[in-house]
Amino acid sequence: MPSPVRLQQQDFSLDAEIAALKQASSHIGGIATFVGCARDFSEGRSVSGICFEAYDRMALTEMQKLRGEAIERFGLIDARIVHRVAAVVPGDNIVLIAVAAEHRAAAFEACRWLIDELKQRVPIWKKETTPEGDAWVTPHP
Amino acid sequence: MIRVLFFGPVAERVDTREMQFEHTPGMTLHDIIARVGMQYPGALSIVSFMALNQGQTSDRQQPLQDGDEIAFMAKFSGG
Repeated sequence: MPSPVRLQQQDFSLDAEIAALKQASSHIGGIATFVGCARDFSEGRSVSGICFEAYDRMALTEMQKLRGEAIERFGLIDARIVHRVAAVVPGDNIVLIAVAAEHRAAAFEACRWLIDELKQRVPIWKKETTPEGDAWVTPHP
Repeated sequence: MIRVLFFGPVAERVDTREMQFEHTPGMTLHDIIARVGMQYPGALSIVSFMALNQGQTSDRQQPLQDGDEIAFMAKFSGG
């Protein structure tokens, strides 16, 4: 079974990640997922592609920390975090958060918390291709 | 040797992904910032985070050891 925390170039399978979560325990009462995908606009401009870059070793360490913190903070049974580091086009998957808990509230809250924290703490950058040229994305607070 | 890494928009500004500096006794993170700044004036103005050996730090007076790895990073935009 692939590691629950990964940076990878290729696409991921939501079904495979959910199946991996279900193997963790029969106490699971709910699985919440978030899939971030590439959209075709940003800041009023059309976007034809996005290229990701990561400080791999630090990003993986931080993602593993996030997983551990989420499991402890929300009492999760398990959690998986996968981020692609690749050139993608609109519609492509970018990031997957999948969490399993005994009850839905913890699963929903943990999923939201994980993607919010990932954006703040994990050293990954994206560059968008627009009609005006390529531009690094400056995140909003 | 101190290894200095640049990523994304910062790498674009300094036009390289990695620099190396000879380690000298008493060297601090501040010394590296000053040397990169002299070589590429203004390039570090978009740096929001620094890392020492893959851990975030903001302590510029932190002494450096031979073999340390430093990263200068702009705000993250993953996800």
